[in-house]
Amino acid sequence: MKPAAPLWVLLPALVLLPVLALLPGISHGGGWELVGQFAAAALRPSLDPLVLGSVLGGLGITAGIALLGWAGSLALGVVLGIASSRVVWRTCTGSAGPAGWIRRLLALPRSIHELLWGLLLLQLVGLQPAVAVVAIAIPFGALVARVVSDLLDALPTANLEALRCGGAAAPAALLTALGPPLLPQVISYSGYRLECALRSATLLGVFGLGGLGTELRLTLQSLAFPELWTGLWLLLAVMLLLEALLGWLRRRWAMPARLGLRQRAVGGQGREMVGAGLVLLPLLGAVAWALDVRPAALLQWQGLPPLGPADWSAVAALPWPLLIGNTLLLTLIAAALAVGLAPLLLLLVQPWPAGGWLVRGLWALGRLWPPPLTALLLLFVLQPGVLTGALALGFHNLGILGRLLLEASETSGVAQQQALVAAGTGPRLALLYGRFSGLARPYLAYGAYRADVILRESVVVGLVGATGLGSQLLEALSSFAGDQLLALVLAYALLTLLGEDLSDRARLWLLETPHGDGHPQEAGGTWR
Amino acid sequence: MRSSPGLAQNLPLTSLLTLQDITVRGRGQPRLDRVSLRLEPGERLALLGPSGAGKSTLLAVANGLLEPDQGQVLWLGEPRARGTRARRRQQARIGTLWQDLRLIEELTVQQNLNAARLAAWGWPRALLNLLLPLDTTACGAVLQRLDLDPALLNQPVSALSGGQRQRVALARLLRQEPQLLLADEPLASLDPRLAADLLALLLELASPPRALLLSLHRPDLLAGFDRVVGLRAGRLVFDQPSASLQPAQLEELYAGSEEP
Repeated sequence: MKPAAPLWVLLPALVLLPVLALLPGISHGGGWELVGQFAAAALRPSLDPLVLGSVLGGLGITAGIALLGWAGSLALGVVLGIASSRVVWRTCTGSAGPAGWIRRLLALPRSIHELLWGLLLLQLVGLQPAVAVVAIAIPFGALVARVVSDLLDALPTANLEALRCGGAAAPAALLTALGPPLLPQVISYSGYRLECALRSATLLGVFGLGGLGTELRLTLQSLAFPELWTGLWLLLAVMLLLEALLGWLRRRWAMPARLGLRQRAVGGQGREMVGAGLVLLPLLGAVAWALDVRPAALLQWQGLPPLGPADWSAVAALPWPLLIGNTLLLTLIAAALAVGLAPLLLLLVQPWPAGGWLVRGLWALGRLWPPPLTALLLLFVLQPGVLTGALALGFHNLGILGRLLLEASETSGVAQQQALVAAGTGPRLALLYGRFSGLARPYLAYGAYRADVILRESVVVGLVGATGLGSQLLEALSSFAGDQLLALVLAYALLTLLGEDLSDRARLWLLETPHGDGHPQEAGGTWR
Repeated sequence: MRSSPGLAQNLPLTSLLTLQDITVRGRGQPRLDRVSLRLEPGERLALLGPSGAGKSTLLAVANGLLEPDQGQVLWLGEPRARGTRARRRQQARIGTLWQDLRLIEELTVQQNLNAARLAAWGWPRALLNLLLPLDTTACGAVLQRLDLDPALLNQPVSALSGGQRQRVALARLLRQEPQLLLADEPLASLDPRLAADLLALLLELASPPRALLLSLHRPDLLAGFDRVVGLRAGRLVFDQPSASLQPAQLEELYAGSEEP
């Protein structure tokens, strides 16, 4: 008995059974009235000019932070990516050795979530706009570096060798042979990073690093729901506009899609791309000036409160197995919820066009709404704990995975689904058999990658308490326990690296085509 | 008025499929322009016409994927059902052979054959089909009917050769047990020998009372058909017994196009 492809897609949703069984147990009875008020306020957001002004100001800061952090991460990532590429080292020096070392070094900044970078920097240099920018640029930069070097090392090298044989110098040969095929993939990938940067900038705000997130949290905690929805709707508008703009550019420049089963041809609109880049530079300068980002201020470290002598026995006495176990449990539940619910919801609403739009709206809210705020909202009715944190993280990632699944299902399996419908099959079964069959492998491969992201992200719901390493870390941060902090950050990083390795293996296993059927599924590394 | 299947062979009381004044609008000129057509049980009808004549549109109207802008489709003398369930029951009686076959690559041959029964199956059976081999005897029988080895049943479709795929697609059609077979240019990308073989097979599978409606590029393959219908620019040009078709009619049908 071996489940067939369409079933794989639904299996993660089985996690719903234990989750639904446990929910009544962690519900504390009260708070439904508040949730009702929150939901009702969605239809009547505050239009007070004062509120609108402050929300727009916050939104501007968040967007600015996202843009600057994103640009910084790209610059950093491309440079470091080239520096950690095997083919570059081999061409320039004859040995690929140093590339591997740089890669391993970059794993550390990558494995630490931007929120932790932000909170650590906050302690070192105090509150200033540059903190959030750098907090995004560091881990994103290390991530972009990995993708760039993976892409570089995966490019065919025949042209490069031909140029080298012709006597071209190493840098010139690399630029000519590898530059043109690399560029469109990097640009396409960087578009997705910008969407991520906007989400991260909002999230950092929730933790007080500036921008709209701060206002969202304050309005939620003071139960000012109409004001909260003013911010949410505006943020939603900005996010959807950004996604639409990036999607339009990707189509216009014929860029590869994220879950693309077939690699598209290299985009031909070189001039427009260069033009867009040139517009971006002064824009970045203007944003930096408007936000008052001063890199020099980052070097003026503030005096830290006196740290007590390290107490390693107390560190060792932390309940490590419980902390790690809870973190993993939270990750698994959240990942299974997100991966499994997206196709399940699509199946449920398939017969009704209006349902499709409802699901899209729900997913957009999930992407936009920072998980710690969902967690706070859930606390109105649930007790703090692993499950509450997992629900919050799961909802956020459901929004991301769901959108991806929809995007991919618009191009894959259309003909098979139509054939089934023509033979009288119901709309749900036609979707399950016709479309999900082909999508199963690439979708689950992306889900494996997402699980790895969720593990890293689990720190952000630490504030609802008892969620494992995340909440312990936030506690250590606020009590200036340097020794605990160090141990916890390292443990987190180690766990994330292990998780990354596992998810890489799972992805390779899922993507390897079982029967050499002549159409290899090239869901490459570009959708990280 | 109902009749048993045995009687239907001798007494075609109601037409299987009737298209009445079907119009499907397109950009500029209509894709189908007041086309009327009647198909009796057991009839084998070939649809000829240059590309863009509306052959595919007509087949899509016939299998219910496309709703005509004007006109009426009757199935067994009754207007096509509006309710989704009844509509699906009707669609289940019409089997389509697609030019690109539309097999589900990731599933086994048996799962693909059983997918033809999904219209009749509920969710439990549809899900079970993705876990266990169901209805092995029936699936093996349709494979054998097409001279395929029943050992192929648990092979994934992606592991089959081109010729095997073609036959598995036909086997899936048989498994659906339709009363009407539709095929949209099934012979298009095949070499002449394979095309002749496939056509012979299709004509054989469409044994009365099952009817066959097939769109065709090549007028030289009309031998096995009872009737031939010519479409040009969305309009019906002729509808007559295939034996009485004159070369001049074909020339007129394809005038101005590069085809035959």
